[in-house]
Amino acid sequence: MEYSEKVLDHFMNPRNRGKLDNPDAVATEGSPACGDQVTVYLKVNPESLIIEDIKFQSYGCASNIATGSIITEMAKGKTLTEAKEIDWKDAASALDGLPPIKMHCSVLAVDTLRAAVKEYEVSHNLAPKEEFSKQTIVIELDKILYPKVGKSIVSLKMVKYVGWDKGIAVIDLDIPKFDEYRDNIIDEIKEHLEKYPEIKDIKITMS
Amino acid sequence: MKERRLYFNNCLTAKPAPEVVEAMLPYLRENYYYPENFNRTGTESSKNLTRWKQTVAATIGAAAEEIHFTSGGTIANNIAIKGFLLANAAKGNHLICSVVDYPDLLANAGFFEQSGFEVTYLQVDEEGFIDLEQLKKSLRKETILFMTTSANHTVGTIQPLAEIRKILDSAGHHIYIHADACEAYGRIPIAVNNPHIDMMSVSGHKIYGPQGSGFLYLRKGVKINPLIHGIVRLDDLQTGGLSVANTAGLVKAIELIFADFEEYIGHLRELNSYFLEKVREKIPYIMVNGPVGDQRAPHNMNITFDYIEGEAIMLMLDQYEVSVATGSACASQGLKPNYVLKAMGRSHEQAHGSMKFTFSRYLNKQDIDELVDRLVPVVEKLREGSTLYPGN
Repeated sequence: MEYSEKVLDHFMNPRNRGKLDNPDAVATEGSPACGDQVTVYLKVNPESLIIEDIKFQSYGCASNIATGSIITEMAKGKTLTEAKEIDWKDAASALDGLPPIKMHCSVLAVDTLRAAVKEYEVSHNLAPKEEFSKQTIVIELDKILYPKVGKSIVSLKMVKYVGWDKGIAVIDLDIPKFDEYRDNIIDEIKEHLEKYPEIKDIKITMS
Repeated sequence: MKERRLYFNNCLTAKPAPEVVEAMLPYLRENYYYPENFNRTGTESSKNLTRWKQTVAATIGAAAEEIHFTSGGTIANNIAIKGFLLANAAKGNHLICSVVDYPDLLANAGFFEQSGFEVTYLQVDEEGFIDLEQLKKSLRKETILFMTTSANHTVGTIQPLAEIRKILDSAGHHIYIHADACEAYGRIPIAVNNPHIDMMSVSGHKIYGPQGSGFLYLRKGVKINPLIHGIVRLDDLQTGGLSVANTAGLVKAIELIFADFEEYIGHLRELNSYFLEKVREKIPYIMVNGPVGDQRAPHNMNITFDYIEGEAIMLMLDQYEVSVATGSACASQGLKPNYVLKAMGRSHEQAHGSMKFTFSRYLNKQDIDELVDRLVPVVEKLREGSTLYPGN
């Protein structure tokens, strides 16, 4: 397994790394316990809604730093709407690809960018604060990739059932007992859902 | 100009000594013969084999016939553990190892657990020493085997074998010891009669021998079932075409190490403490994983660099022509943080930020200075952009 030259370039010379003073929006996603975290800072022109400046900080591996770098480069000068449309697959392609086991770094970077945009939109009354629902859980699960192939566990039909009742998220997964990434996926699900105050408990079953 | 590469991953594999390569060549070119009766090529090969076994045996206080050449440490571990448990299952079905053992031992323990054996996995303290009180409580009349990684492969912790032997002897029946000495042999003194060890595996490529070489010490009288059935060429336990040249190289590597053992160990210790001193002087927010001093294998240093992640450190150092290893989940196939560090009570973050530096006879203080000179800006650069670094 090896990284592309472009990943190495963005890792060794990250663009827009650091912090913005008085940013218009900030978002942090991921957790150090899971090995990666990204923070995105935005400066937005209130008239044109163009991202005039963007910076990121991160804790994580080389692809975490490289994906943080590339998404800031891709989002700078774009409108908020355009920035929201940047996909994790686009970010990975812009780096000439990532190993499947590292694709989740691209998801995290794009997710953080989208969270920062959302934060700006909500605080400037451009969008309503999203109500938590079962759909929120499904959206979060769709961000979790099966490391071996770098595809979402939802698209791979590994999620059999999602339930949401009285603060309890119930998730039934179809992952064999001997799968080497099983614990990793469970940890990721918890990391993605525990940030929502609406969720009091997460029950994961394996069929 | 490209800088010269500094190699601090000697626990993964070490550079073969030039003398080893030289010693192997005649056995690749001319003297490639296997032992045979009566003809000159075969009897010459037979004599070499006897001499080589004597050389190896002398380094651990064993007899020549107790040495079995193998194609590596893992095969030696498998021949010993599987062979012993299959041969001795009637005596008992309980074995003991620890949660920080080398994957060979843990995988074998798991394998036998699936087939009716019971395994006690001893816990360790924060420096990686096994819990001796738990060991005392774990002994049963069915306990037949204690397995240990003599010097831990991640943090270098040297397990107190003499104390362990005493505890095992208190069981009232003989409990056999299998020591995986792949990290320990050639780095700490080992004598198989003091304390009494029954089986021990050694890998050649970690002590400047060729890859694909090793040996198993099997005490006379210890019954094992042969696992690899077939024609005997160099050894009756690893049958088949074992490499004569690799075995010659292994023996040369062993001769080199034991020719100036004390001096060599002293050199490793000196490099190790010099490195730690320099890192402590120049890099804040670090933590040593494992013990410091005589209870640690002299070639191993493991340090956690707070607020940054190990794969990034490893890769950036690689770009600056330095080879090191990390315990980060991000650099592992299974995306799991290092299990040894976790068992020692380190957090996920501390395991993610851990780096293993392993030293060799081919390094000197100037190399350590260069390593630190390249390490300091890497750590600073990564911390500069970290979400976790205080003040960012």
